[in-house]
Amino acid sequence: MNYGRELLKGNTDSLLLCLISREPTYGYQIVKELEKRSNGYFQFKEGTLYPALHRLERDKLIEGKWQTLSNGQQRRYYYITAKGQHVLATRLATWQDFSTAVSAVIKPETI
Amino acid sequence: MAEELYTHLQDKTRELEKQGLSKEEAARIAIQSLGSPELIAQEIYETHAQGSWREAFFSALPHFLVALLFASYYWQNVVFLSIILTLTVSIAIYGWHKGKPIWLFPWLGYYLMPVVVTGILLLNLPQGWGWMAALIYIPLALFAFIYIVRQTARRDWLYASLMLAPMPVILAWFLTLGTGNELLVSDIWIARLQTKAPWIVISFIALAAATIGFIRLKPRRYKIISLSIPPLVILLLVTLASRVSIDFWGCLILLFSLFAFATPVWMEARAQS
Repeated sequence: MNYGRELLKGNTDSLLLCLISREPTYGYQIVKELEKRSNGYFQFKEGTLYPALHRLERDKLIEGKWQTLSNGQQRRYYYITAKGQHVLATRLATWQDFSTAVSAVIKPETI
Repeated sequence: MAEELYTHLQDKTRELEKQGLSKEEAARIAIQSLGSPELIAQEIYETHAQGSWREAFFSALPHFLVALLFASYYWQNVVFLSIILTLTVSIAIYGWHKGKPIWLFPWLGYYLMPVVVTGILLLNLPQGWGWMAALIYIPLALFAFIYIVRQTARRDWLYASLMLAPMPVILAWFLTLGTGNELLVSDIWIARLQTKAPWIVISFIALAAATIGFIRLKPRRYKIISLSIPPLVILLLVTLASRVSIDFWGCLILLFSLFAFATPVWMEARAQS
């Protein structure tokens, strides 16, 4: 099994929450933003983003609202909720601790 | 979600076209980038497939009510029975007109039961009246039954089985009470029902547990297992343990209920494999 893909799968929710917390956004923009910010590292099948967004919405971490653009096109924008912000803060702190611990373990020993 | 995926495709196609690709090529790449339709469908299903604990409890409630009815020996109390029947009919009609939420289907199953039981009682009328009743009542009852099952299966095949799960169990118990004229003599079947009450309670608690499992589990294959095994085991045990021989009509009705319950699950299992 692809380790990188498993890592991404395990952290997709946190990444989505993080992006949505910066500004209300929609699916296609999220895909582009993830790709841009990770310098192309995070590339996943775009269709699977929407079930993930709906999962977050079902858990009341984000809220989706349809908006009509000036050209008449409709887009569903996602907003982070207070519960989502709280969960994100907890996850970021956990990730920070985890990342620091992993770095400390795997760094080469100095003689 | 379909509308969101469509908007996503439009955005992606438009951007690829700006990069110089033809409309057809841009659309093809945009569709490819979405990934496997089966994977998306599975993830969408799993996102929405798991009901909450509240939904699970409310779905299992009619089974618990029947268990309570027999545990408390209130099944002979006309007032109590009428309250439960009115409640079932009201909740089934309310849920049907409120977008058919998942908790509706077990209630709907009980809503259909009086239709089926009336048919059985009519068939047991003496001196050829049964055939007369069969000619008039059964086509109408079947029409109503098939209409509701079709409407339910349109939403999801498995919901039809969830709805029909109590049917083979209730009919199996009902047919063990007696056949023909015995059903018209209340003393006989009331005495039999009295002695079987603890086992009936266990059957309906098992159905309630199966329903909770169905609502809470995510993968479809686990839902199928959770839904199909308890009713079939109960049916088998009731039929084997029954000391009353089931007549031709009884066998036919039991087979029909089993067929109606098992077909959606079987079709789903075939589609999965």
